[in-house]
Amino acid sequence: MRKRYLAVATAALLAGTTAVAAREYKVGLLLPYSGVYAALGKEIQAGFELGLEHYAAELGEDTIRLLPEDTEVKPAVGLTKAKKLVLQDKVDVLAGLVSSGVLAAVRDFVDGAKVPLVVANAGNIHATGKQCSRYIIRVSFSNAQITRPMGRYMAERGLKTVVAMAPDYAAGRQDVEAMRGAFEAAGGKVLKEIYTPFRKTKDFGPYLTEAQATGAEALFVFYAGGEAISFMKQYASFGLKDKLPLYAAGFLTSQLYRNAIGEAALGSINSLHYVTTLDNPENARFQQAFQQKYGRVASEFAVQGYDAARLIVAALAASKGDKEKFVDAARTTTFASPRGPWRIDPATNNIVQNIYVYQIVQGPDGRLVEKVLKVYENEQDPPNGCQLAG
Amino acid sequence: MLRLFDPLRTLLALLLLLAGLWWARTGDYFGREILAEMAVFAIAAMGLDLLAGFPRLVSMGHGLFVGIGAYGYAVATALWGWSWPAAILLALALSALAGLLVGLATVRARDVFYIMATLAFGQMGYVWVVRSAELGGDDGLAGVPRPELAALGLDLGDSATFATLLVLLAAAVYLLLGRLLASGFGRTLVAIGQNERRVRALGIAPGPYRVAATTVSGTVAGFAGVLAAMHSMYVSPELFHWTWSGEVLTMAILGGVGSLVGPALGAAAVVWLKYAVSGWTEYWGLFLGLFLILAVWTGGQGLYGYLERLRAWLLRTLTRQEEADARGDRTGQTLRRSHRHRPGVAAGGEG
Amino acid sequence: MTAAYWLTQLLNALQYSMLLFVLSVGLTVVFGLMNFVNLAHGTFYALGAFIGWSLLRATGSFWLALVGAPLLVAAIAAVLYGAMIARMQRAGHLAQVLATLGLVFMGVEVMRIIWGDFALDFAAPPLLQGHVQLFGLVYPAYRLFVIALGLLAMVALWLLLERTALGAMVRAAVDHADMAAALGVRVDRLFFGMFCFGCALAALAGVVAAPIFSVYPGMGIEILIPTLIVVVVGGLGSLKGAVAGSLLVGFVDTFGQVLLPQLAGIVVYALLALTLLLRPQGLFPARA
Repeated sequence: MRKRYLAVATAALLAGTTAVAAREYKVGLLLPYSGVYAALGKEIQAGFELGLEHYAAELGEDTIRLLPEDTEVKPAVGLTKAKKLVLQDKVDVLAGLVSSGVLAAVRDFVDGAKVPLVVANAGNIHATGKQCSRYIIRVSFSNAQITRPMGRYMAERGLKTVVAMAPDYAAGRQDVEAMRGAFEAAGGKVLKEIYTPFRKTKDFGPYLTEAQATGAEALFVFYAGGEAISFMKQYASFGLKDKLPLYAAGFLTSQLYRNAIGEAALGSINSLHYVTTLDNPENARFQQAFQQKYGRVASEFAVQGYDAARLIVAALAASKGDKEKFVDAARTTTFASPRGPWRIDPATNNIVQNIYVYQIVQGPDGRLVEKVLKVYENEQDPPNGCQLAG
Repeated sequence: MLRLFDPLRTLLALLLLLAGLWWARTGDYFGREILAEMAVFAIAAMGLDLLAGFPRLVSMGHGLFVGIGAYGYAVATALWGWSWPAAILLALALSALAGLLVGLATVRARDVFYIMATLAFGQMGYVWVVRSAELGGDDGLAGVPRPELAALGLDLGDSATFATLLVLLAAAVYLLLGRLLASGFGRTLVAIGQNERRVRALGIAPGPYRVAATTVSGTVAGFAGVLAAMHSMYVSPELFHWTWSGEVLTMAILGGVGSLVGPALGAAAVVWLKYAVSGWTEYWGLFLGLFLILAVWTGGQGLYGYLERLRAWLLRTLTRQEEADARGDRTGQTLRRSHRHRPGVAAGGEG
Repeated sequence: MTAAYWLTQLLNALQYSMLLFVLSVGLTVVFGLMNFVNLAHGTFYALGAFIGWSLLRATGSFWLALVGAPLLVAAIAAVLYGAMIARMQRAGHLAQVLATLGLVFMGVEVMRIIWGDFALDFAAPPLLQGHVQLFGLVYPAYRLFVIALGLLAMVALWLLLERTALGAMVRAAVDHADMAAALGVRVDRLFFGMFCFGCALAALAGVVAAPIFSVYPGMGIEILIPTLIVVVVGGLGSLKGAVAGSLLVGFVDTFGQVLLPQLAGIVVYALLALTLLLRPQGLFPARA
C-alpha cells in the first residue's frame, strides 16, 4: 500500500493518443500510516485516490503521480518527509496532514519554500489564523468551525447550563472555547471545563462522575478515535443518557468507527461538516463509488481526501504547474462537494462550508445513521489575526 | 576504564567520521537529513553510554534531558528572542541541572529501581510539557532558528553545511567523553558498574561519582536536544516520551555499550534501518524488536562486540600463522594478551 | 459534592485498583521469583484482549473469551519461555529489559497486522450491561463485576500462596531459590509455571478491561507504566506489595485527577519518585 506510485492515466492516454507534451505532476501525500492516526491516514488516502479517479481526466493529457510519505504522527518525522518531498522529489503540491502538531512543524518550511499545501484534516485554528500562510489552504475544517454552531444550537434548544469535557491538548481546548464563546454569547453558561490527559485517559469514570456532580443540564464533549469509543461506552454504562444529554463535535461518532461504538452512540447530538446521508447527487455518486471500491461507508475523513484531490486537480489544470497560479486558482475554485457547497475564504485560506447538527438514530436497516436536525450554512471563521490580502 | 586510543575503537570512530563527512558532501538532500539525525542520536547515545556502559546504570528516562535541552533552546530563541549562544548555554545549564537533580534523587536506586526511577522522571517531564499551554502542549513549538554563522561564511540553512557541522560535533563529543572516561574518574565508574560494594570497601563513596556521571550524561543528552531542535527547527513533547528514551537505549545497546564508539555506530545503523525499512513497510517496529532480541541473544555486546571478536579471531589466526612461521617467537603471546576481556551486557545489572 | 459523588469516585478508584492488581500480581511474582524484568507484560495484556475479542466474535460468549483468552495466552507464553525467556534468566537485567522491550515493539506490530490499527469494540455480557442502583447512586454493573473479580483473585491468590504446598514452594523459591532447590523444589518448573500463570493473569486483565476501554494495539504499552509503578511501589515479589501498590496507585491516580486536576497524570509519578526516595525497596518487598 505504501510507496505505491499511483499513476493516473487519463482518458486520452487510454484511448491511445500520443501525448507529446503531457506532463506528470507530482503530489506529495503527507499522512500517518502508522501510529495512533494510521486509520485516519488510510481513510483520507482512500478518499484521495477516489477523487483522482473521478476527476483526474480534467487534466487532459497530463497525469498525476502520488508520492505518499508516512508522518508517523511525529512532527519531526513529518517535517523531514515534507522536506524530502519538496527538495528531493520536487513535488508540485503537498497534501494531507492529520495531526495539527505535524502541520505546525511543517508550516514555516512550506511557507518559506512557497509550495502549495492542501490540508486534508489538521484543524488547529491558528493554521488559518495568526500562523496562516498564503500557501497553506485547508479543505477540511477548523476546530472552532465545527463546535461554534454547536454552542449556538444548544442555546437555541433552550439549554442554560452545560459542562464540557475534552482531551487536554490544543484541539480539545479550541473546540471547547469556540463552543463556550457561542453558547455564552447566546445567554448560556458553561459550568465547568474538564480536560482529561491526552492519549492517556482510557478510564473516564472519575471525570464523568465529576461532570455529573456539576448539576449541568447537558454534557458537551470533543473526543475522537479510540478515545471516542471508550468515552461513548463509558458514558452509556454510567446511565447518563437520561440525566446528562450528550452534545459533541461529530468526530465522536464518526462513520469510521461508529459501528465499534454501537448502540451507545444512539441519541447523541453532534455537529460536523459532513453527514453520510446527505441527499445530493455528488454525495450519491461519491458514496456509491467508495462503497463499491472499499466495501464500507465513507466517513468525513474520506470526503476531506476526496475534495483535496479534486481541488488539486482543478488548480493544476488552471495553473499548469506554476505554484503561485496554483494558489490563486485554489483560493478561488468552488464546486459542489458531497458535503454540500463550499469555498475557500480568501482572507484566511480556510474552508467556508455548511455545518450539520445531527442526531444518531437507528436507520430502517438497523444501521446507525445521522438524522440532520439543523444546518448552519456557510460557516466562516473570523480572521483570528490572519492577514492574507483578500 | 576506557582506553582512549584503542586501535580498533579509534579506527572505527575515524571511519564513521570520514563516512559522515563524505556523505554530507555527496549525499542527496534526504540523505543529509538522515545524516544529521544520525549525528543527533549518536550524541544522545554516547551520553547514555556514560551511564549504561560504565557504571551500568540503565536509564530509561534520557528523553528528559534531551527534551529539556531542546525546549530550553527553543523557548529562549523562539519565544524570548535570545541570541543563539545564550540560548545554548541556558539549554546546557538546564539539562546539567536536571542531570544533577536526577542523579541526586536516584543515588540509592539500583537495578530495576533505577530503571523505574529514571522512567518516572522522564514521564513526569513528558506529562508536564504536554499539559503546558505556554510550551505549545502537544503541538510543540515551531519557529526555532539555526545559529547565524554568516560571519564565518557558513550558512547552516544549507543541509550539507549543517550535516557536516553535526558530524564534527559528534566527533568532538566522542573525544571529550573519551578523555573523561580514560581518566581515573572513568576507572571508578567502571568499578562501580562491576561491584559497587567493593568500591565502597575501598573507601570510595560511589554516590558523588554517580551524581557526576548523571550530570555529565544529562548535559550531553541536552546538547543532543539542542541540536535536534536546530535540526527540525521545531520541538515537540515526544522527545520526552519513554519510548523515545527506549529507542536511544536500543541504539546504544545494538551498537555495544561501554565502548563509546559502539553507540554512535548503533545510532547510525538504527536510523538508517528505520528509513530503509519504512520505505517498504509501515511495520518498522517489527524489525526494531527483532534486532533487539537478536542483539541480546547473540551475546548482547552489540555491533562493536562483534568487531572485537572479529579482531580477536584475526589476531589468533595471525599469531598462529606467525608461530607456525617462526617457532619460539614470543610476539604471538604478547598480541594475544592485548585482547582484554570486556564484560558484555550479560554481566550487567547484577549486584 | 454529595456523599454519592464521593462513593462513586471511591468505586472508580477501587475498580482501577483491581484491574491493576490482576495485572501486576503476575508481574511481581515473576520479578520476585525469577528476578526477571518483563517489560512485555503489557503485551500479554493486549494480546489477551485481542484474542478475547476474536473468541467473542467467533463464539458470541463473553465468558468463553474470559476463560479461553488467558489459556491461549498462557500457551503462547509457554512457547516464548522455551524459545527465549528460559535462557535469559541469568542474563542480567539489562539484557532482559532489552529483549522484552523488543517483544513490546514486535507485539504491537504483530497485533496491528492481525487485528488492524483501529480500536475494536468489545461488548460486555448482556447480564452486566447497563447500570445498577445502589444506595441512591447509579453505577455501571460491569465495573462492579470488575471489582468483585479483583477481590476474588486477591483471596484466591492469597489462599494459593499461603495455604497450599505449591504456595509454600513458591514463597521458599522467592526467598531463596538455591536453598529451595537444595530442598528438592523443582525451581525451574516452578518458574515456568509461574511465568505462564502470570501471563494468563495479564491476559485475563486484558479481557476484563476490554469492555471498558475497547481494544487497540497500543493498550499494552499504555498500561505497562502504571503496572510497573504498582510493582515497584509495592515491592518486588510479594502479594501484599501488589495489593498495597495497586490500591495506592489506583486511589492516588483517581483522586489526583479529581482533587488536583492541574497535576493529573503527574501525581502517580510523584508517588513513585517519593517511594523510591523513602523506601528504595518498595513498601513490602518479598526479600528485605
